Amino acid sequence: MKGLSQSNRQRAQLSLLLGPVTIFLAIFFFTPLLIMLIYSFLMPGLYGGVEWIFYPHNYGRILGFADPTFEFFDPVYIQIFLRSLRIAATTVIITLLVCYPAAFQISRLKENWKNFSLFLIALPFFASLIVRLFIWVLILKKTGFINSTLMSLGIISEPLDMIYTEGATILGMVYIFIPFMFLPLYASVEKLDWTLVKASQDLGANGFQTFFRVILPLTMPGIIGGSILVFIPTLGNFVVPTVLGGAKVLMLGNLIEQQFLSARNWPFGAALSMLVMTGVLVMLFIYIRSETKDGDQSPATK
Amino acid sequence: MNWLKRLGGGSLTLYTILFFAFIYAPIAVIVVYSFNSDPVNMMKWSGFTFDWYKQIFGFTNASSEAALYIESTDQLLAAIKNSFIVAAFTTTIATLIGTSTALAIYRYNFFGKRFYRVLMFTPMLMPDIVLGIALLIFFVGIGMPLGIGSIIIGHCTFLISYVFIVVSTRLAGMDRTLENASADLGANEWATFRKVVLPQVMPGVIGGALLAFIISMDDLVITYFISGVGTQTLPLFIFGMLRRGIKPEVNAIAVMMLLFSFTIAAVGLYLRSRKK
Amino acid sequence: MHDKIISLDNATKRFSLPEGGKINALDAIDLEVSRNEFLTLLGPSGCGKTTLLHVISGFVQLDEGQILIDGVDMGETPPHNRPVNTVFQNYALFPHMSVGENVGYALEIAHTPKPERIKRVGEALELVGLGGYADRMPRQLSGGQQQRVALARAIIARPKLLLLDEPLSALDRNLRQSMQIELKNLQAELGISFIFVTHDQEEALTMSNRVAVLNGGVIQQIDTPLNTYNYPANSFVASFVGASNLFEGKASRDGERIHIATEHNEVIEARARKDQHINGGKVTAMLRPEQFSLADGDENRAEIDVTIDQIVFLGSAYELLGKTTGGSEIKAIISAARQSRLAEVERTKTARLSYDPNAVHLIPGTGDVQ
Repeated sequence: MKGLSQSNRQRAQLSLLLGPVTIFLAIFFFTPLLIMLIYSFLMPGLYGGVEWIFYPHNYGRILGFADPTFEFFDPVYIQIFLRSLRIAATTVIITLLVCYPAAFQISRLKENWKNFSLFLIALPFFASLIVRLFIWVLILKKTGFINSTLMSLGIISEPLDMIYTEGATILGMVYIFIPFMFLPLYASVEKLDWTLVKASQDLGANGFQTFFRVILPLTMPGIIGGSILVFIPTLGNFVVPTVLGGAKVLMLGNLIEQQFLSARNWPFGAALSMLVMTGVLVMLFIYIRSETKDGDQSPATK
Repeated sequence: MNWLKRLGGGSLTLYTILFFAFIYAPIAVIVVYSFNSDPVNMMKWSGFTFDWYKQIFGFTNASSEAALYIESTDQLLAAIKNSFIVAAFTTTIATLIGTSTALAIYRYNFFGKRFYRVLMFTPMLMPDIVLGIALLIFFVGIGMPLGIGSIIIGHCTFLISYVFIVVSTRLAGMDRTLENASADLGANEWATFRKVVLPQVMPGVIGGALLAFIISMDDLVITYFISGVGTQTLPLFIFGMLRRGIKPEVNAIAVMMLLFSFTIAAVGLYLRSRKK
Repeated sequence: MHDKIISLDNATKRFSLPEGGKINALDAIDLEVSRNEFLTLLGPSGCGKTTLLHVISGFVQLDEGQILIDGVDMGETPPHNRPVNTVFQNYALFPHMSVGENVGYALEIAHTPKPERIKRVGEALELVGLGGYADRMPRQLSGGQQQRVALARAIIARPKLLLLDEPLSALDRNLRQSMQIELKNLQAELGISFIFVTHDQEEALTMSNRVAVLNGGVIQQIDTPLNTYNYPANSFVASFVGASNLFEGKASRDGERIHIATEHNEVIEARARKDQHINGGKVTAMLRPEQFSLADGDENRAEIDVTIDQIVFLGSAYELLGKTTGGSEIKAIISAARQSRLAEVERTKTARLSYDPNAVHLIPGTGDVQ
């Protein structure tokens, strides 16, 4: 009897604690995503809105089977998709290359300097994203800091075209997402046991061999974790290309925004969003697969 | 061999200095040029002035040439006010829900515990544009007016996850034998929770709340889709200005915002390091 | 007032294994602890000693059997209502409370008025030699000091029984030895029963009134430290408590002399104790390494020839590792005072060792020894 009443009390406590999150996320997270999924298969209405007719051509416009009554297949969408992938991948690689040596150096500093460095890297994460992008607009634009300075020094006579390029977009992405790459990467580098590196050298491996056979595999979890954290927000980003890429660098995010706020083609926008979500889910799936594979290996190597 | 090693170490140090320069030099540039008096070309130094700061605080000098460039101080103040209202409500709700979820998962064993753990990560990993438009379709579909209310709900959907993760991390680092020790010394479940669990988890709750506050203040993408017409937050205001063309006082606003978030972050990180 | 502060009857606890099936963590344990007794639970890790401690403190419920504390059945009583306190292995000091708040926790929970609480916290800290430390935080203390705080916290509510879960394992050797003596004195001073868990046999022998040796969830032997060491109840106890030479063989009796013939063709001589009946058959004889000495022709001692593989200097003594001519492994400890003879042993790599047949212990239950 006593045990039963106790488990009843526990069940009541549990539902009190878990109830709010369950209800909130069910209504405001999963329902909207489900509705978006349904929308992506509906026919766009003439003046915005939707017709409740099954219509696979929202995906067709992107993937190559356009509705023949309205338009021919336009490869521009797949180009935008590929460009988004390219920009996201480039951003991941550059942030990784930029952060990796710094993570090593910082992990070897004295305790106080180490903590201070980590503080300095985490700090921009808390600063407004839009302000940090705005800074780069002021630096890169035609009358910006670099051009004004170089011209007043007489190094160039005509302003350089830096803003509104793919390069500027990638630079902005890298600048914003550095902490996302650095912190997971640092966590792995910090954990690295330096005696293993010494052991490898002791056993006759040179610097390159030690790096590729010992250091790289041991820091792989941080590399993968950081890459995913950078890839996810980059792929669907529309703020950075809007501010630094201008009209020339159109990414998936810009396309989605247009469908919702100017073209008023919500089903097509929903289909594009599903595509972004799929890209992210595929990345996460690969990540989880690699994690569990590691888990399977560890008992055998012990 | 030795000199080679020293060179390697030296160049790595130099590299790390450049790395920090890449992060902070742009910020230094904007801070310096927010005092530039040139109203037309903001990035061409022509003299020192406080005018832009005076303007954003409403001390407009009518005779100043710069007065021509003022957006509307009222609009700016309204945006700041909205941002604070949204952040305050979001932080409260997200902290309550996120903390209670973390406590439930820490304290109880129940069917579906693993599911909840994964569930709590999904909103955080969802690209914000996807969440933004899903919420837009949803709010319009159920006929809910867009504005402060919809923004608060939208921010909560993903900030609950942030609070949950910060608090869970704190709970995971807690020593479970402390609860046994408390029971052993005569404290019942509730006394143990109040005197042992809660005081220890509090830094995590405060940290999670600070994080939620800062992210809510800063969110642009989700807010952009679900704010509707007429409701502006601070990031939206700046984004709008960037799209229309930059006015010199944005510089000063940007510096003030940097100062604000750096202060909160510094206080938070300092508190955390002291608690250790 | 009951004579026994705690009594366990047929206490059994099973845990399910992750790979399926169940394991008996405690297998029908019967145990009684008297008032004012210092009992040590000794055993290798995983032997069930921590489970047994948790059964007493209330964190683990028995599957079968009964637990009485001071004559009261505690089966349904949650940990916070039991008159038992614990010193935890890692001390489990509350990191967010000062030393004084930690020590006074049990009194605060019991709503003891503040003036009395402060007085008793002061006394408890004084007792463990930490007077004046009340305002420090636990992290500012050394391991040994934290250990004392944990002790003060556990005794302040005057429990009927104090449980100590390997409390000295994190301390360095010197500190551990001085704490052993202090704990023993403290127990005598407080007059409460201690149950002390350890895997360190030296600790168990130094401190306890009685030692209970556990293995596989079963009490192998429960006796005074001296009897546990000299007369182990089985070969597990013999090899776990102290080092030992074990000889398995066929026993034959000749008056009070017993000869054990091993499969290696050595003969070990022993003397029958009055209460022992030897009827032939297989037995195990035990000789402690320190019972050997270098033979000097004393006829009361039996002798055995050994080839020496290794001599290890231990400081006050030398350890000789070798084999008998038949091949049984021998470990002997010889006082360092016999330098000259040891030099000879080192040169010839052989030694003739002697032992007192009266010191040979025949482990009961291994044959027809009863």
